[in-house]
Amino acid sequence: MTSAAVEPTPTAAPAASVIASVRDLRVHFRTKAGIVHAVDGVNFDIRNGETLGLVGETGCGKSVTARSFLQLVPMPPGIPVSGSILFRPRNPCPDCLGEGCSACDRTGRVSSPCPACSGEGCQHCDQTGLETIDLLDLPDQQLRDIRGDRIAMIFQDPGKALNPALSVRDQLGEVFFTHRSAELLDAAGIDPDTQSVTGRMIRRKANMRSRGVENLALAIPPLRDRRVALASAADGMVAAALAETQIPNPMSVMDRFPHELSGGMKQRVMIAQALACNPDLLIADEPTTALDVTVQARIIELISQLQERYRTAVLYISHDLSLVKRVCDRTAVMYAGQIVEVGDSDQIFHDPEHPYTQGLIEAIPSTNRERGRLEAIEGTVPELIEPESACRFAGRCPHTAPVCTTHDPVLEPIGEDRLVACFIHNPPATVPTEQLPRPDGRLL
Amino acid sequence: MDVTERLPIPPAPPSESALRVRARRAGELTANVLSNPTTLTGLIIILLMISMALLAPWITVPNTPDPTQMPRDWGAIAVPPGSPGHPLGTTNTGGDVLYGVIWGARTSLRLSLIVVSITVTVGVAIGSLAGFLGGRIDEILMRIVDVFLSIPELIFALAIAAVLGPSFRNIILALAVVFWVKYARIMRAQVIHVKQNEYVDAARVIGDAPLRIFGKDILPNSITPVIVQATLDMGNIVLVGATLSFIGLAEAGLAEWGVLVSEGQAGISAGRWWASTFPGMMVFLWALAFNLLGDGLRDVLDPRTETSR
Amino acid sequence: MTTAVEADTRTLIAVRGLKKHFPIKEGALQRVTGHVQAVDEVSFDIEKGQTLGLVGESGCGKTTLGRLVAGLSEPTAGGVYFDLGPQEKIELDRLMASDAERAEFDDEHRVDLLKGDAWRRFRRNTQMVFQDSFASLNPRQLVKDIVGRPLRVHREASGTALVERVVELLEQVGLGRQHLYRYPHQFSGGQRQRISIARALALDPGLVVLDEPSSALDVSVQAQILNLLHDLQADRGLTYLFITHDLSVVRHMADQIVVMYLGRVSERAPTDDLFAAPRHPYTEALLRASPDLDADGDEDGFQGLEGSVPDPARPPQGCRFHTRCVYATRVCGWEIDDVVLRLEETPGLFDRLEDVERRSPFDAELRFESEQAARTLVSTFQNEAPEPMRDALEDMTVEGRTVAIRFNPVPEVELTSRGTDHEAACVLEDFGSN
Repeated sequence: MTSAAVEPTPTAAPAASVIASVRDLRVHFRTKAGIVHAVDGVNFDIRNGETLGLVGETGCGKSVTARSFLQLVPMPPGIPVSGSILFRPRNPCPDCLGEGCSACDRTGRVSSPCPACSGEGCQHCDQTGLETIDLLDLPDQQLRDIRGDRIAMIFQDPGKALNPALSVRDQLGEVFFTHRSAELLDAAGIDPDTQSVTGRMIRRKANMRSRGVENLALAIPPLRDRRVALASAADGMVAAALAETQIPNPMSVMDRFPHELSGGMKQRVMIAQALACNPDLLIADEPTTALDVTVQARIIELISQLQERYRTAVLYISHDLSLVKRVCDRTAVMYAGQIVEVGDSDQIFHDPEHPYTQGLIEAIPSTNRERGRLEAIEGTVPELIEPESACRFAGRCPHTAPVCTTHDPVLEPIGEDRLVACFIHNPPATVPTEQLPRPDGRLL
Repeated sequence: MDVTERLPIPPAPPSESALRVRARRAGELTANVLSNPTTLTGLIIILLMISMALLAPWITVPNTPDPTQMPRDWGAIAVPPGSPGHPLGTTNTGGDVLYGVIWGARTSLRLSLIVVSITVTVGVAIGSLAGFLGGRIDEILMRIVDVFLSIPELIFALAIAAVLGPSFRNIILALAVVFWVKYARIMRAQVIHVKQNEYVDAARVIGDAPLRIFGKDILPNSITPVIVQATLDMGNIVLVGATLSFIGLAEAGLAEWGVLVSEGQAGISAGRWWASTFPGMMVFLWALAFNLLGDGLRDVLDPRTETSR
Repeated sequence: MTTAVEADTRTLIAVRGLKKHFPIKEGALQRVTGHVQAVDEVSFDIEKGQTLGLVGESGCGKTTLGRLVAGLSEPTAGGVYFDLGPQEKIELDRLMASDAERAEFDDEHRVDLLKGDAWRRFRRNTQMVFQDSFASLNPRQLVKDIVGRPLRVHREASGTALVERVVELLEQVGLGRQHLYRYPHQFSGGQRQRISIARALALDPGLVVLDEPSSALDVSVQAQILNLLHDLQADRGLTYLFITHDLSVVRHMADQIVVMYLGRVSERAPTDDLFAAPRHPYTEALLRASPDLDADGDEDGFQGLEGSVPDPARPPQGCRFHTRCVYATRVCGWEIDDVVLRLEETPGLFDRLEDVERRSPFDAELRFESEQAARTLVSTFQNEAPEPMRDALEDMTVEGRTVAIRFNPVPEVELTSRGTDHEAACVLEDFGSN
């Protein structure tokens, strides 16, 4: 890898407004045929409150990238090679206590200073001075605290992502018991600091750490009443979360099981579960692919409404470019394990700079395309087994030049807030001109 | 997460032919089977057992007139292993344990092969009929299967063999009556599952006849679990067969592991362990080996996992 | 067979009054407790050389309809008729009034009743490409055998001649000789779909039923397949029945579009007319919900539909779309089920409903646990039910714990003409956006 320079990606936005940065992420897979470089040097930032689209075709590594955020890639066969995912959790704003004020940009949440350098900027916090966690290098316990609380995920198939044996009530209740036990105790009118035996028992219940005998004790009065109070507090929170997703009559939905709900309804339950703890970052992996268009449109409206309200950053993974254009503020295009272009969605779709992005957009049947004349990208995605140091699109690119088969382009800025990995835009200085791709009129 | 989905096709050699491709596929399959140490162990044991069974008339002196009967050496009753002329010792009645072990393999091979071929044929036929035709026929056939399944294998076989009278042939008959049911069930479930595949519809759209659709599309894609089960049963049948002959449902004096174990059991308390132990171990090894192979085949025979290069 | 002049005026496929109902069986005795109306009263023609797009969401019956046209399944009523001359078509439309009189005609032309040579002619003429390219290719057969199979079945070629024909077909779909001796799992999704297409073309058919042929593929591969289908159509004068849920694809491919909702045709029109001026609210809703890459910034236009698709075993009365339609009027088929649905969505009320005694879909008595619940229903209904639903009400009286409800009975909404070749099944000539 000649191009594997591990340097921070140049970003136009100040680091303070970045909720998470992926740096040189490499995830490989061991297969019979060899090591597949599924994700190979991915860099991007997700800014506060934005929706970042991650688009690409099957096998380009977008799902693996997304799953890496929560260490959900199975290892083995996956091999974590390198990289970090820096996440800057946000805490309730001290000025307004989460109400939303000018200091926190009405989000009610601010980042905390880095505990290592107290805001000076150090290696640990990537020179930002803000509390930074490397998600790839996190012990299990801390990871569990973050999962579902600070970072939540919605999956493509809500039918598989929901546990078929749990009712909606239990499914969602679990999230609150895991991450919001203090609030639950408070809502149930139980003193969270009580040191009595029964108090500890009920507290353990609220943390879902009760054991067999305790559960028995909790089933008889007087503890039973407190347990019931706890359960009804959880019910209240579950109902509120469901109501957020505009599910009609949440109280009756709560008692149902996933198989009794329609696809759209299940996805709403998933969203309610994901947003229950008001996460800083929501990862949506093809959330509407399994749904009909009319339902898809409703779900997307819902996600953007909720996102607007809570100012949650969203990483939106999809293969559907029209949808990403509609939904996302910025878009990152992935090809064969690498990001080839990042920028503002409008710019990317109106004026794509990377030949692959151009090809993708031309391939979509839309109003302005003549019948039978879609510009299909010729060829197939290259084999990702031990790839050579070359542009991975070189085999299919209409502008391929000698340099493209010997060097691997890296993402470099062109213009404001736009990154492209292509030698047309960023010719390496050391390579003779005749080996460079000929700048086509449309491209420059 | 499907990283293997997009692997391109390697360029084909120019002189390709269907025969070669199929031969190569068979080769890859074999290599896959052999690459798993436990499957390989099973296969080696089986090969040893089978060669022992086939070569029995040459590695021992066949008893006359009927070599399947134990030879009796009345001059060496219950001698321990290592005695001259009787490397594994003899039984209470002077039967040579080594002879019993070797000819027992022959008996077991005959038993399992006959029973498996009968049961697989009958089971596959009935299961296919039920699954392919469906409706009333399916309903009737499956209720018959249910009746058979409601009685435990061993007890059912025992009852049949007992009614028919003690003979090895009746054991074969009894096991055949009992074991086909499983195949019928497996085959029916497979056929119903495979029938829903779109390639079956595709064959119908072409205009192919139902029987050929069954032969080309349904049977080859349904048979794998049957093969796996048949392999496992090659072991199980010997186990059940030995049990039946142990309790006296085979002819006395037959060179068969179960009979031998039963002959030797009386001596165990007197410290004469060998007459039961060696044939018992053979039963154990036989069943184990086929189970190891069966498990290995299950992993390898799925067309989606095989050669997913 | 037929002269060229006559061939042009023949109708390749005429679908008339087509119904396919699947029985729902329950319990140990498998008693039939109802019917899923997968396809209900569908009629349209497929003309030679054109592409008819069949659009709708999951469960609307488009795949069932495709299978019926391809002769893979037998209709419950009505039929699919193959290759009719102009006179025969007139005859058929005249005979549609009576099943008994049509019996003879059916025997000669209805695809599921064809026998012998007529059946073989239909079979050769109508082929199908399925959505799941993995499931539609036998994993244990080589490409040569898969693509060559139709030729062998119809005894067109064998031996070397067969191999050469297969190579020719493979080359037409962008594959080649080097792919002959490979198994399907060795190909990518797009290539497998090409193999499927090659197989469908082997018998030189007139009509190819394409059931979501590109839905499982990535955009760049989808574009390759759509281009291929388009080129093949131009070269061979193929007729397509193109089934899809993707509006941008169907817009790109089809000359005529049939929109289905819950087993029925809600609108049928030439592609351009349909996209320019949809005349059924469901079509409009579909268009609004589909993101188009070329649409600019028109954020308000993008919106989905409320509610979910009703149970196809109990489709709504009147217009099947009225439960979700934003333009619904009092004559759209409001019924007891709509009241029950609203009850389900009202917290606390549904649990107190004890029994519903129906006299007809429009007329029933609802018995509650208490008098108070019954009164709550009436007041919620009067305050919260949509206005057209309240207008459709003929009677709503409380008597103790029971509420008697009666709506104005309304017949099913039929397709009516909206201009040249344009039909819609809506009681409104014009609605909101038009």
